[in-house]
Amino acid sequence: MGDRLDELERRIDELRAAVRRAMRARDGGTARSLRADLRSAERAWDALVSGEHPQAKQEPPRLVTVREQVHQGLRLLGATAQPRLIVAVSDAFFGGTLRSDRLTSLRRDEERSFRSSPFGRPYYLCAALTDRLSAARGLLTLSTWPLERRVVGPLSPRVDFLNCAIAVAKQRSDDERAVRLLARMARNIPGATDSGLAPPDPARVVAAARAELAVHVERDTRDRAELARRAAVQLGDTARLFGAATLSTITKEKAK
Amino acid sequence: MSLLTSLARLRALDEGIAQPVATVRHCHLSRRPMVFIPLKLSGEAAAPLAAMLGTDRDDPRLLVVAQPRNRDLRFAWAAELAGVLLPYVEALTVDTETVERKNADPYERAVDAPQLVVPNQGGVAFTALLGRSTRFRRADGPYPVPGSVPLLGRWLTYFAERAAYPGSSIMLAATEELGRHWASGQSSLEDANLAALMSWITTGPSDEAEDPLVWPPAGPATDPGFDAEVLAPAIESGSAERVAEALRTQLEPTWRLVWQAIDLLAALPEGASVAQRWEQDRGSFSGMAAHVAEGAPPQARRDGAVAAAARLARMERAQAAYDVQRAYDDPMVMAEYRLTGEAFAGEVVETDPENTEGEGRSRKLRPLVVVKTDDPVRLPQGTSLGTPQRRGQGAVLVAADEGLITVKITKGMGRGKTAAPGSVPEVGERVCYTSLTDDFQGSATLPEAEATPWTHGGPPRGYTPDDEDAQEEWS
Amino acid sequence: MTGLKREGDPVRRLEALRGTTPPRPHDARAIAALAANPGCARRALMDGAGIDKDAAARHLGFPAPFGQSPFAITRGNMFEALVKADGCAELLRMLRELLDLPVEEVAYHDVENVGAHLRHTHTRSLLDHAARSTTAAEPVSAATFYDHPLLSLSIAGHTAYLEPDLVAFQLGGRFHVVEVKSFSVIDGQADPAAVAAAARQAAVYVLAMRTTLEELGHDPGLVSHDVVLVCPENFANRPVATLVDVRKQLAVLRRQLTRMTTLDRLLDALPDDLTFDLRPDDDGRPTRPVAELADALSRTTARYAPDCLSTCDMCFFCRDEARQEGASDLLGRQVRDELGGVASVAEALGLADGTRTPAEGQEEIARLLRNAERLRRECLT
Repeated sequence: MGDRLDELERRIDELRAAVRRAMRARDGGTARSLRADLRSAERAWDALVSGEHPQAKQEPPRLVTVREQVHQGLRLLGATAQPRLIVAVSDAFFGGTLRSDRLTSLRRDEERSFRSSPFGRPYYLCAALTDRLSAARGLLTLSTWPLERRVVGPLSPRVDFLNCAIAVAKQRSDDERAVRLLARMARNIPGATDSGLAPPDPARVVAAARAELAVHVERDTRDRAELARRAAVQLGDTARLFGAATLSTITKEKAK
Repeated sequence: MSLLTSLARLRALDEGIAQPVATVRHCHLSRRPMVFIPLKLSGEAAAPLAAMLGTDRDDPRLLVVAQPRNRDLRFAWAAELAGVLLPYVEALTVDTETVERKNADPYERAVDAPQLVVPNQGGVAFTALLGRSTRFRRADGPYPVPGSVPLLGRWLTYFAERAAYPGSSIMLAATEELGRHWASGQSSLEDANLAALMSWITTGPSDEAEDPLVWPPAGPATDPGFDAEVLAPAIESGSAERVAEALRTQLEPTWRLVWQAIDLLAALPEGASVAQRWEQDRGSFSGMAAHVAEGAPPQARRDGAVAAAARLARMERAQAAYDVQRAYDDPMVMAEYRLTGEAFAGEVVETDPENTEGEGRSRKLRPLVVVKTDDPVRLPQGTSLGTPQRRGQGAVLVAADEGLITVKITKGMGRGKTAAPGSVPEVGERVCYTSLTDDFQGSATLPEAEATPWTHGGPPRGYTPDDEDAQEEWS
Repeated sequence: MTGLKREGDPVRRLEALRGTTPPRPHDARAIAALAANPGCARRALMDGAGIDKDAAARHLGFPAPFGQSPFAITRGNMFEALVKADGCAELLRMLRELLDLPVEEVAYHDVENVGAHLRHTHTRSLLDHAARSTTAAEPVSAATFYDHPLLSLSIAGHTAYLEPDLVAFQLGGRFHVVEVKSFSVIDGQADPAAVAAAARQAAVYVLAMRTTLEELGHDPGLVSHDVVLVCPENFANRPVATLVDVRKQLAVLRRQLTRMTTLDRLLDALPDDLTFDLRPDDDGRPTRPVAELADALSRTTARYAPDCLSTCDMCFFCRDEARQEGASDLLGRQVRDELGGVASVAEALGLADGTRTPAEGQEEIARLLRNAERLRRECLT
């Protein structure tokens, strides 16, 4: 077995060097095929070293789908949020197994499903709408929310953040992950914490967030009502949930 | 850099091989140095990736963080590092000698001290960061770490501080030490590459030294190509063995190079003042060991005003002493002062060993020596001189005329009516005199820390690491 | 062609230098690097002509020793995302603490919400709108943050598009460039080289914004010379903001860019038919014979210094050239300074050996070198 391992190691070293040489010469094609050889050699090495056949990493059984976990997270937050925050909430309160990178394709899948059978599901995870009524980058909302909550004006990111902080604080969880999440949010709200390591007082976080909300809420509500009105008038069902196509997406569609 | 070193670099470039700029070794080399090659994860301040270390060149220890972003694995790695480094350090605290002092109590000094050798200056900086990121941790309370980790942090911090101390050999960077003894035919910037510098010294320049596939970087940063093509897939595979094997390929070449660098330095005869500086290192080491044993707190994040000024003054004195000692130990270093006119060397052409000054009771023996030199002497009459040939001796420059320099010996020729045998150089002897002397003005008086003026922030509050220090994220 | 040159058409001449190779757009890092070695004619010409130096160096067989680890890239992206997360919550905290940003100033505008091709014009109109709000009689609403803006700057006739991390407004009615970097500030100290590089890069953005405002008829002084540098603090991911004054970097940059627009003198000295064209085939692979390209490049004077090794794609090619010429530049600036203008290794060694008679003005350095040589010989025997 040792001989075979030695031989594999030599082969792996050679292949690695060859791949890096190809990369340096910007020869993508060669690099790709060398890389494939390299992977198989490495797998063989792994198998030989651990004395067993390589197998796919086992994932813990997932009882709740990614879609459902995001839904849970958004419902708790009650406001438009970024995948990062949804993952953190799911982790802190639902023992979630989400990873941000799994969320990237989610919106497109939802849109596809909606297009093939409109309103066929009780809820859709959909896009927040910008002032151009197009899909805002990296923000998720729920189709069951009123339009006003699903559009974002200039102040909305802050308002949504403060509302999310209030929602998290109201859970009053003692779980370490929940406390850490609240602490992270609270330190970005004026007057919500003392500097120091003590866990934040949820009531104080809520009060501080509300105090800042009071500053923004009037203008934000006005901006959102205006956007919602425009969206209701100008957009069809699909666009109202997933955003109007921007000029560039239209061009791309046509190119296909 | 002096003109002499520049000339050596030109010569090296012309001849295709590094040129010596020292005739003796100016650093102490331990019988059991601990070679330490740390690697860090690219893009992170102080996320350890791996280290190869040990005192036996045939038996390196490889410590790896198989998932470098995992905080617990990082501390486990630090604990493993402590498991190798702390026994090495602690074993050396056992044997001590008693040192008598004037006007002070005698103290215990270790008969030998640890020596950490890293490949380059980057290794020193990373050691300091590792020390900083671990020394405030606690073994109890929230976010506990293994008990050895904070202790490791204090020692790593100590090593890195000594590395900055002129003339100390507690922690050496191989490129720095090699560069002090050889001039390559490349720029000092390129000398920071250990493989390149070593090839200049041993075989002559080679482009392979800059090819990361042949000579991986000596750390702490890894080759970006290696990160992309080898390390990232290995980490992704979740196979700790594969990560370890990948990192071994990056560390082993450097491991061999560092030991080879030690051999090169060891082949040089040791400078006369090296033992004396190592004695100071041993004293410093014992001081640190006592500090730790007494349960004193870890080194502060930053010095207070008085401590900072005191440290600066100490470093300046150490630098001046180191410069002078090297010149006295090594004619090649002295040559730099001869070139600038602060020293001269030549043959004794005439002596008057019985010359005296004054009359009656105040009559004193003042032997005269005339030296013929080709050096451009730029010293005024009356300059105090010392000489490497007779270290205790003091002299004064009496006259300089067309390459003939008259020197009067004022100290170190005995108390008799005639000069002690051998204390006055004979005609024909080669001698060197210089205005450089090793006796410095005492340290500037600084106030006690308690009396720090308000302009400098007032008396510092003693640094007590708090919970925040202990729980600081390491992500 | 001769006539063309005499009439002086630098833009066409520069295009001829580049030939059929597609121009390489400058980014802020590249523009900042222009200021690193102002005396290098080769670099000035190649950059002025928009030549892809990286591709040229590869083709010549001297690929640049640069590269960024995927770990560093991931970490940089993650940190930037963290700083901007949740409506720039972290950034708001820092600006409120550092610059007393009023609590009502939270409006966030993501320029990237418009299509990619509109980003630049959209950025311009947003900046115009915001600048107007400072002088308008009735209140005009302006955002506090402009995320993903796209600026432009003209470099020797080419438009370079630049993407600062973020632009903040309403800090005392002035625009502030926000630069997010993932190198750490530990106990109040960061790697000085990294800070300097960030400052040079930010200065490029400041200059681009000032130029834009000027074109729109606004006071360029609306863009602050203080940029907000955001870095992780200590060993955690927690961001910390610092104001960095980039006036000096701006001055250097301006001077450099002015020089680049006056390449005529350099161009005049070149043969008419000279080109650095790589002659890419349909797949973009260079087909120009390497020796021919190297020969063309050797018609321009490079000013190699070891510092080039960290800033210029052409560094290994120029170093090799310096080696062949036996230039003392190879050994670095300190050695050059010591040698007081003796440019070649052979000349310096000749003066030291006494085999070469010093030219006028070289007497002093020759004397020093001879002395140094005598002393070295004495020590080595």
